[in-house]
Formats: sequence, structure tokens, C-alpha cells
Amino acid sequence: MTTDGSWRHTAPERGDAVTISVDGEPVRACTGETVAAAMLAAGAAFERDRSGAPRAPLCNMGTCFECAATVDGRLLTRTCLIPAREGMVIKTPGRL
Amino acid sequence: MFDLAIIGAGPAGMSAALTAADHGLTVVVIDEQQRAGGQIFRQPPETFAGSVLHPTAGYGWATELIRRFEADPRLTTEFGWSAIGVLHDDAEPDGLCVAINHPEHGTRMIGARRLLIATGAYDLPVAFPGWTLPGVMTAGGVQTLVKAQKIAPVGDVVLAGAHPLLLLVADLLIRDGVPVREVAFAQSIPTPVDMLRALGAVPGHLRMLTETGAILARLVRKRVRVSSRTIVTAARGTEHVSRIELARVDRRWKVTGAPREVAASHLVLGYGFSASTELARQIGCELVFDSPRGGWVVAHDERLQTSVPGVFVAGEPTGVAGADQSRAEGTLAGLGIAASLGRAVPAAAFAEAERGIHASTRFSAVVQSIFEPVRGALGDLATRETTVCRCELVTRGELDDFLESSPFVSNVNAVKLSCRTGMGPCQGRYCENSVGAILASAREQTIGLGGRFSAHLPIKPVPVGDLRDLDAVTEQPASDGSDTGRSAS
Repeated sequence: MTTDGSWRHTAPERGDAVTISVDGEPVRACTGETVAAAMLAAGAAFERDRSGAPRAPLCNMGTCFECAATVDGRLLTRTCLIPAREGMVIKTPGRL
Repeated sequence: MFDLAIIGAGPAGMSAALTAADHGLTVVVIDEQQRAGGQIFRQPPETFAGSVLHPTAGYGWATELIRRFEADPRLTTEFGWSAIGVLHDDAEPDGLCVAINHPEHGTRMIGARRLLIATGAYDLPVAFPGWTLPGVMTAGGVQTLVKAQKIAPVGDVVLAGAHPLLLLVADLLIRDGVPVREVAFAQSIPTPVDMLRALGAVPGHLRMLTETGAILARLVRKRVRVSSRTIVTAARGTEHVSRIELARVDRRWKVTGAPREVAASHLVLGYGFSASTELARQIGCELVFDSPRGGWVVAHDERLQTSVPGVFVAGEPTGVAGADQSRAEGTLAGLGIAASLGRAVPAAAFAEAERGIHASTRFSAVVQSIFEPVRGALGDLATRETTVCRCELVTRGELDDFLESSPFVSNVNAVKLSCRTGMGPCQGRYCENSVGAILASAREQTIGLGGRFSAHLPIKPVPVGDLRDLDAVTEQPASDGSDTGRSAS
């Protein structure tokens, strides 16, 4: 994706390709990449707040919880901290 | 149990670990990231061939420190694990139990005689209209995505705030071909008097200052507008940032005129840093409010022991002072901890470590005085409609109404209990600063008088099931001290 507001890869050598699922859509990632970085580069939406307003990573260092999602069934997982792995299932159902 | 558990593998944690191991201590180091370095030296993943850490000029020592740390077989490391709290060990009067949590492996308990809090700092949060929109990120966040994840924003970027880190991030972005439209600083350009004072702090930091000058020259060449006395008053857009409002401010960062609009799809914020002190709070360490040094910081004695016996602190939680000072404090803490466990530490070693701290303090004190955030003015950027607590969706208006109807409330914890500011997943990290400033303004008192949020185990939220293992058997180091016998995958 190259639309304004999204993110693009800068280094071509990124580890082995893996595919994760974000809200049912396949997202390409690579080993070593965090789930949050993969989602940003794919233009995938993050979990909305409970008013329905869009949110996205703010700190990228595990403190703000804006990037949190349900990862392989575990609630409130900070996607900026976890490396993407083949078959990982990410869900952003919206916060309570 | 381990002699020493260190929370944080940044410059302070790494140097403390090596120093402690040199004095025969068994050491475990715990960090949420996948690799050593801390935020300032976040390394790209090992799987990214050809991508290595390039420390900012002046921090050439970082590469060697990380290499020594990673290669040291004496150290036990637990990467990808979050420290969620510390308990006293009932069975061992001198022992502490560190609860650590992993998103896939749950909770483990690690026993240690001493604890070192080396938890670093995070970007100072500032609430203003639109700061919850996608496209608004902190300078540290963008820096780590660009340097360690090798991705770059698409579309025009504006950087705003008050900290020189903005210049480094702008430079990184330009090198990746990102169109940087403007870098806006709330302060005036440093005065000749500031420059003279800075010169006195130069020895040892010359390369860093030279690099800053070179970056400014590159920004000017790329026709990046570098504004002073300018503050961001709003980010606009529906699903994503599309416009930024910038306004002129006076010497105390008060907005003086109507804002101008700049089209941009990314806004990078850098007002400075808040020390990460929640673990120290949970343990019960005494904290003091020191605005130029990062707000609430952990009190300590001359060997960096906190008010809680056996618990030490090093790096940014003692006061945000940069990587040089963090490294020096890590060394001193390592020595102090070794001495507290009865190891022979020569007086000369302490003297040398203290010299290292004094050398870096000369520089950091100047930086702190030039770049201290005007917290009151930043609190005023939040309008009635602005979300102050991002997690619990509490607006400035709700806070103002509560404070008006409850004239005897003068403490941020009382505000938290009534308004829910600080009760969400981030546990107040991103609203404490705003709530403190707003309360201080309403009560015409200093920010420190309003107190700070308390913190409890777990200091980062985990599923309830993960708390079952808090009464698990405490893990011990293997007899050779090099491994717990359990691999952290």
C-alpha cells in the first residue's frame, strides 16, 4: 500500500515471508517483523475505541496499549511487542 | 535464587549486568523487547539480513556494550517477558520474587536477592485535540519503527514538540526519502547565553553536538521548515490525520494567535520523556517530582539504592539524563549491589563510576534546563472536548466539571477514583501528566503537590488466568549461574 498515511518497507531483506490473519484478511509479514509493523505496512486497521473512533499505535514500545488486539485468542496483546509468526490470528473486535 | 534481577536491557541494565557478573553475582535480565539495547539502541531483528544498529553519533560505545552483553555466557536473559510486579519472598527474609509474564507462556516467578529497576523512559504524552487519531505517533515510536522495523511513513510528515530528538527523527525520515514538511519547536532557538553554557558541557559530547548541527544543515538543504515558538494545537481528520494546526506561542508556550493549517498525514510528537517508574511505584519506592528530569523520578542514595532495601535504580527512572548517564549509573549500581551482597569492591572502582556520572551530568543538566517542558502550558492544549484519558475516554470537560464540583479534591489519585482517568490498560502512563497539569492549574498549586497515580501488580494488564501462577515455585539459577535450565523460546 502506498496511500498517504500508510507505511512502506525500506529494507528489502526482511526474513522469511509469513502470512498472518487480521480480522479474517491475510496480511503478509516476515519473521522478525512485529505484528504492529506488519499491520501498519499492510494498511490494516487497529482496534477501535469503544466510541468507535479509529486508533493506531502511538508509542511502539509497549506502554500505550493502543496497538493491543486479540492474538491467537489472548486478549489485550500488544502487537508492537510480538513477532509475526505463520498462521497467527489477529482480531480487533473493538474495546469493551 | 539469583543474586540480582535486572528489569530492562538498555544502557543501564546492560552495564549493571556486566559489572555485577564481574563481581561474581548471578544475574538475570528481563526485557519486553526481543533483543538487548533498550529503546535508544533498539536493534533490528536478527532475521533482517544486513540490518544492524547504527547508534547516533556520540554513542559509538553502544555497539560494543551490546556485543559484550549478548556474548556473555554468565548472564541469564529473558527477552519478550514483561515484569508485572515484585513480591517479597515469605520463605526468604532477604528475597524478592519478580513476576514476569509472556503473551504465550504465561507467568513465571523469579527469585532474587537484589532488584535493579532500569526501566527507561517513554515519550512525554501531551493531550490536545485529535491526538488519538491514527497518524499521530510519538518520536520514539516513529524512530523505532524506522530504525528497527525498517518501515517508513508514506505521505507528508510534520514533527512537533520541544525535544532535540525531533531533529534526529526528521533526519532519519529524510534519509528514507520521506517528505518532511516542518519541524516545529515550542521554544525559542537557544540564546547565546544558552550556547555558552552548553559549551561548558561539551567535552565528551562534541560529536553529538556536531551531528545536531549537521542535521540542521541537511534539513535546511532539503527545504524543511524549522520553526521555533510554534506548537501543535490540533490534528484533524476522520479515519486518519490529514491536517495539522500549528500556532505561535510566547516564551511560556502560551498560544498567542490563530493557528495556521498544514496538510500532513503523519504527526510526530516529541516533548521530552517521562521516566518509567510504575515498577518502583508498585514496590513502594519513594518518588520525587522533578520536572526537568522527567516528572516523577525514583529517590535513591549515593549508591542508587531506593527507599526499599535491596531495590536499586539506574538510568532514566532516576531522572531522564540520556544514555551516557544511564550507562554510568548502571555501572555504579552494579558495584553498589555487589558491595551490598558482601563482595569486595575497591573504593577506586566506586570513584571511577562516580566520575563517569559526573561527566555525563554536566551535559545532561544543560540539556534538561534548555528543554524542560512547560507543563502548565501543555496541559492547556486540551480543550473541553479533548480526550485526556485515551483508555477510558475521559475528556478535559469531565475533569474540569468534577474539579469544580469537588473543591476539596487536590490529589490525582482522588481524580482517578472519581473520573476513571488512569484506570484503563495503559494504567495512567498516558494521562497522568495531563491530569496533574490540569489539577495543578485548577487548584493553583504546583504539579508535584497533586501527587502521582499509584501502581499495583500487575503493572501491565494480563489475563486473569495468568495471575494463577503468582504462587508458582520460584525459579532458581542453575548451579553454574548461567541458565535457569528453562529456555525462553
